[in-house]
Amino acid sequence: MGTNVGNVVIAKATDSTLWKSLLWRIIEELYPSNKISFHVVEYFMDSKVMTIAIYGKRLTQKSQFIMRIVVDTYALAERHKRRNKKMKFKIEEVTVYFPYDNIYPEQYAYMIELKRTLDAKGHCLLEMPTGTGKTIALLSLITSYTLSKPQSPIKLIYCTRTVHEMEKTLAELRLLHDYMVKCIGPSAKMLALGLSSRKNLCVNNKVLAAENRDSVDAGCRKLTASWVRALAAENPDVPSCEFFEQYERAGSAAVLPPGVYTLQDLRTFGKEKGWCPYFLARHMVQFANVVVYSYQYLLDPKVAAIISKEMQKESVVVFDEAHNIDNVCIEALSVSVRRQTVDGARRNINRMRQEIDKFKATDAGRLRAEYNRLVEGLALRGDLPAADGWLANPALPDDILKEAVPGNIRKAEHFIQVLRRLVQYLEGRLETENVEKENPVSFVFSILNHAGIDQKTLKFCYDRLHSLMMTLEITDTDEFLHVQTICDFATLVGTYARGFSIIIEPFDERMPHIPDPVLQLCCHDASLAIKPVFERFQSVVITSGTLSPIDLYPRLLNFNPVVSRSFTMSLTRDCICPMVLTRGSDQLPVSTKFDMRSDLGVVRNYGRLLLEMASVVPDGIVCFFVSYSYMDGIVNSWNENGILKEIMQHKLVFIETQDVVETTLALDNYRKACDCGRGAIFFSVARGKVAEGIDFDRHYGRLVIMFGVPFQYTLSKILLARLEYLRETFQIKEGDFLTFDALRQAAQCVGRVIRSKADYGMMIFADKRYSRHDKRSKLPGWILSHLRDAHLNLSTDMALHIAREFLRKMAQPYDKTGGTGKKTLLSQEDLDKIVLEGSMNDMLY
Amino acid sequence: EDEDEANGLEAWERAYTEDRSWESLQEDESGLLRPIDTTAIHHAQYRRRLRATARIQKGLIRYLYIVVDLSKAASERDFRPSRMAVIAKQVELFIREFFDQNPLSHVGLVTTKDGVANCLTDLGGSPESHIKALMGKLECSGDASLQNALELVHSNLNQIPSYGHREVLILYSALSTCDPGDLMETIQKCKKSKIRCSVIGLAAEMFICKHLCQETGGTYSVALDESHFKELILEHSPPPPAIAEYATANLIKMGFPQRAAEGSVAICTCHEEAKTGGGYTCPRCKVRVCELPTECRVCGLTLISSPHLARSYHHLFPIVPFAEISPSQNDPNHSFPNTCFGCQQSLLSQGNKAELSVSCPKCKQQFCLDCDMYIHESLHNCPGCESFR
Repeated sequence: MGTNVGNVVIAKATDSTLWKSLLWRIIEELYPSNKISFHVVEYFMDSKVMTIAIYGKRLTQKSQFIMRIVVDTYALAERHKRRNKKMKFKIEEVTVYFPYDNIYPEQYAYMIELKRTLDAKGHCLLEMPTGTGKTIALLSLITSYTLSKPQSPIKLIYCTRTVHEMEKTLAELRLLHDYMVKCIGPSAKMLALGLSSRKNLCVNNKVLAAENRDSVDAGCRKLTASWVRALAAENPDVPSCEFFEQYERAGSAAVLPPGVYTLQDLRTFGKEKGWCPYFLARHMVQFANVVVYSYQYLLDPKVAAIISKEMQKESVVVFDEAHNIDNVCIEALSVSVRRQTVDGARRNINRMRQEIDKFKATDAGRLRAEYNRLVEGLALRGDLPAADGWLANPALPDDILKEAVPGNIRKAEHFIQVLRRLVQYLEGRLETENVEKENPVSFVFSILNHAGIDQKTLKFCYDRLHSLMMTLEITDTDEFLHVQTICDFATLVGTYARGFSIIIEPFDERMPHIPDPVLQLCCHDASLAIKPVFERFQSVVITSGTLSPIDLYPRLLNFNPVVSRSFTMSLTRDCICPMVLTRGSDQLPVSTKFDMRSDLGVVRNYGRLLLEMASVVPDGIVCFFVSYSYMDGIVNSWNENGILKEIMQHKLVFIETQDVVETTLALDNYRKACDCGRGAIFFSVARGKVAEGIDFDRHYGRLVIMFGVPFQYTLSKILLARLEYLRETFQIKEGDFLTFDALRQAAQCVGRVIRSKADYGMMIFADKRYSRHDKRSKLPGWILSHLRDAHLNLSTDMALHIAREFLRKMAQPYDKTGGTGKKTLLSQEDLDKIVLEGSMNDMLY
Repeated sequence: EDEDEANGLEAWERAYTEDRSWESLQEDESGLLRPIDTTAIHHAQYRRRLRATARIQKGLIRYLYIVVDLSKAASERDFRPSRMAVIAKQVELFIREFFDQNPLSHVGLVTTKDGVANCLTDLGGSPESHIKALMGKLECSGDASLQNALELVHSNLNQIPSYGHREVLILYSALSTCDPGDLMETIQKCKKSKIRCSVIGLAAEMFICKHLCQETGGTYSVALDESHFKELILEHSPPPPAIAEYATANLIKMGFPQRAAEGSVAICTCHEEAKTGGGYTCPRCKVRVCELPTECRVCGLTLISSPHLARSYHHLFPIVPFAEISPSQNDPNHSFPNTCFGCQQSLLSQGNKAELSVSCPKCKQQFCLDCDMYIHESLHNCPGCESFR
């Protein structure tokens, strides 16, 4: 295995353990004192085999030698891991474990602010640019904080927007966890897991075959509902889910051992043990130290009540990437009813009617039992079997839960009558020819007048429906979404008198000839949905790369943060280059202002801009447009005047569509084109899926062009109603809010290109309105600080020149630690020094 | 609408105000403007280079293909007069410098345009023929194709003997590549054939080029301007570190031909014409060749002269980097003289303030920065050490 050629030892090993033992054996043989430290001086990789030369530090001059060892790449990674020092430092009395060799100054500052928040048991608002390691700073500090205070354990609830982010967070957490266990020992063990819908967690192939989330949920219920299982116990022909059965059989023995579990790990664990991962995870959530799940589990009251009700008060809730949190809150409490909903609801009601008749004939006792239960009050709902609890009341005040269901809907057939009348009434309202806007109070009053349903009855619709469906043993819940929507609507409209409005539009404003009536219950107050979260939990951390202006969020969400701060990025080089382009190559202004957007000159100038940029920027370019319709229009005219064809000579063009599958495919090919050197351009829409969740880091996005200011569609009735509400309630001016909203979208879009400090990218804001102070000042600080005065009012040719220079400059090698000047990467020693001197401030500001 | 017209300055004017570019200029005794002394900075750069290249083993016999991108992008005028002209000029310089430093090596030229790659000259040891061929073909059009160029180079380099180091230097103006197939596969092929690919970009960093260089162990750099480009391309003239695994010891047969007597007439194999005098005779088959080093056309023997070998030799035993002496260290009562041992110029600048200087760790003689660079980069001998012999 090893051959000794003079002083050169050549050995071959295929796995890491073999390699390690081999290495140490050689060292022992040659140097029995065994006090030698080695480091790798050079290595060379050839597919799977890595040649490394290691250099013994403490060897005498005479016996210095170069040893060559052929190892598996894996072994080298192992070696690197062992060699790394990683960090451990103190912030006040808390010892923080940090699983990397170096820390950015802003991460350190972020941790200090976070610790203050935890000490004060308050809420905070922290803005730090993407790519500076927010996630690991958060995780590292909060878990270390918990460890240092064993008498009062804190649970961490980490909310992410997408499953992908969830997995990334858990991967970071695992790294941290491994490091902490290594440092402290088994006492640092904790349980951390991700929770997602059945679609992502189910391991039963039959159920997984369904295409969307609702069908997977229904498929699961068809196998696991208590009555189905009762049937299956008697009759083996009735299908049931073996994973769930085994999980139930294991009973209290079904627990997850401590560790960090991603969704994939949960599935693997479930498959191995034969337990259903979804129910196991849901059960373990209340015992876990760290839970990572989606926003909806806390903000959507329907889901929150079942998933998150067990969470202790001593929890820290983190909302990551929370720049859109107000919209998430609003969406959680908004319902829209269309003609299809009404029709579907009517079908549902008919079917329930039939079921009731059937039960009356066969099993009248069951309906009577339900009646009795309702007399005793809704609070007893809890005694239904665990697996059946699936939907709950949207954000009802506690006292209502204690009330009994009103007499007029206790009987099943009476409730069906009420629903019929409600659906009838809503259908009638949909038949309007004008846009109508109403507040909930008058809407409830008119329901009372026309359909004879009072407010209290409305309020209970949701729970009553739930109870009825349970009684009727309905498992295909995905068929009953329509009637659920109607009841959801009824309950919300019956519960809240303020912060909502009802808007009925007979057609879409953009297509006035196609009747498409829609009745919308719009929530205007983001604080309603998030209020319970602020009240229930000790600390809530809202963080994102773009929270500017940071003083607006507390007003929108109606809370008092103890800390609200915006951090800038410490950079070794100016790796972002924002520019405001106000004029085209013919020196005429460009804008997507309504009166200018269809101007041919503007369209041509935008086209020339992209064309010129495509010829000087390598690899990937991302373009964001203000809306789908605008994108369609401008791409069409570029096609007509031949600009598109010219662009295609430089780079391939891909377009985001409203179809998710198509967009994913386009993105995939876009990446391929960037990888293989052909170069590509991606056309995307601000506020679209791509703008929110897809990263265009490294060569996938060297330049992002924001065509226009992405204002919301200002003629939308919903937006107007919300603006009015914001002005009246929070004294936020319409213009301020619109600009804030547009600029945060723009910042979000351009922020896609830079995901780490080693990365670089340019950002072009192509609209003359960006040069105005009121717009520009609302950009996040980390972009503004790089926006030089000279770059505020550029034309295409000037931008082109700047781009050329910038790209050349960025291609030069650089020193990652920031050299001797301003430190941008702190090692353990640097930090120790800072702690001693307390001189953090002059480093950061 | 534009409220930022403060200070009465336009935005572009403000940029220059911030830059304060005039402060990097200085007036000398005769009133001429010249840039502030940047030798210290240049010297630091040079020392970094020196450290980085201090390696153990070097490949002395190199087979290098220079791929010149003559796509439409090469006609851009951001380099004056055009990228193409600058490339041609620097390639000429490079080829001369290359043969000066690596007399045993061979160079070939490949161009790529219109989506295809053409072999301009085969591997050979004569700088003149390459330069002539390149100058005659300076027209650019179409797209560049990295894959086609690499495939061509790969098929040519695959045939050379194992002791030779296979290298490609790509001078790339374009920002994209137009390929018939999967470039990644070609890169893997090059890697397998141990071809070291380096790229010098003229516009911006491209992922695929970076990937290519990383995979094959080459270097990737992007030129800022013409002088930087020159610097970068000349960095490729000293032999790169040999990859230890492949550098197996090999005995190579070489012939040391004698110069033919003046007045003797023979037909040379290079041009296939009768020539009087000059030229060399292959010691094995006695055939006449015009220039050295080369390979005998008849028997395939490598023909070189001994100075060639000697010139390659210094790469193996480079002069150790000199230690820097900061001005504070060499105070006047120190035993060191105040003049450079190399050029005998004073090491003191105006006002009797000592300037930065270096000293050889072996002979302890002091040198000025200019001599330091000259000794390491051109002379390859330390005058101090030599004079003690």
